[in-house]
Amino acid sequence: MAALAAIIYNRIHIFATEADFSAVVNTASIISLNLIACLIISIAYYFFTRFAKGSKIILFHILLAVLSFAAVVVPISISLPLTVKNPELFPGLAVPMIFFPALAWFTFKPLFKFDE
Amino acid sequence: MKKAIFPLLAAVIIMISAFTFFQSVDWKISSGYSVKFDGGDPKGEFTGLKGTILFDANNLAASKFDCTIDVGTINTGNGMQNTHAKSDKWLDAAKYPVIRFTSKTINKTATGYEAVGTLDFHGVQKEITLPFTFVNNVFAGAFEVNRMDYNINKEEPKHGASVIKITLNVPVTK
Repeated sequence: MAALAAIIYNRIHIFATEADFSAVVNTASIISLNLIACLIISIAYYFFTRFAKGSKIILFHILLAVLSFAAVVVPISISLPLTVKNPELFPGLAVPMIFFPALAWFTFKPLFKFDE
Repeated sequence: MKKAIFPLLAAVIIMISAFTFFQSVDWKISSGYSVKFDGGDPKGEFTGLKGTILFDANNLAASKFDCTIDVGTINTGNGMQNTHAKSDKWLDAAKYPVIRFTSKTINKTATGYEAVGTLDFHGVQKEITLPFTFVNNVFAGAFEVNRMDYNINKEEPKHGASVIKITLNVPVTK
């Protein structure tokens, strides 16, 4: 779902800015990065619940939110290939996408029953 | 009257031939050129190259470069770094919108040619030598610029590279 949201947002961004970042952000990279991110979140959650139970789970959520926020520096500081024009518009595309895995996690996790 | 036609015709032919000769060395910059700079950090390119290129390998005395680079077209691949580079702390694109090279002489060398001229960069005019080759209608050359010589952020000599290598690859057409 995070990948789907990112793909839709990518389309909106292209439509709004006409900036082409397909060399670095395309459907394949969006799906794979979101799958990897959500997989890491799930594995981290699994191990976290081994040691923390009940209301302490909120620490995981805080950590996830903080890490997502900290990851904002990645698209801001990254240098794109010189063939990519208008790199100043890249953070506007990538920064919101950074939050999509965490957003998807917070949205859909209540649907699954865990032994917390 | 008829007698005057032939000298007049000769004069016109001479004038036209002189004009034709001038045209033959006037090169137009094609798309696909690159003006790259590399100091490790930063590195990138400029995309706004314009100018007049008069070059004839058989008549270097009549050859001349007068080219400008639009500072605002700097691209490091990072938007934040681009904005930073154009600010008054670094290249000051608002005050010094172009980098200009005007050649004084062009000489033949063992490996190609060299253009000696003035580089007007960041409000400082300095004489430089630009070695280059001209093969298959492509000018290619490289030279180094020390930003300290051009008063570019002299307050922070260790912030980024001081010596920047500039590499030019400029295809041209007649």
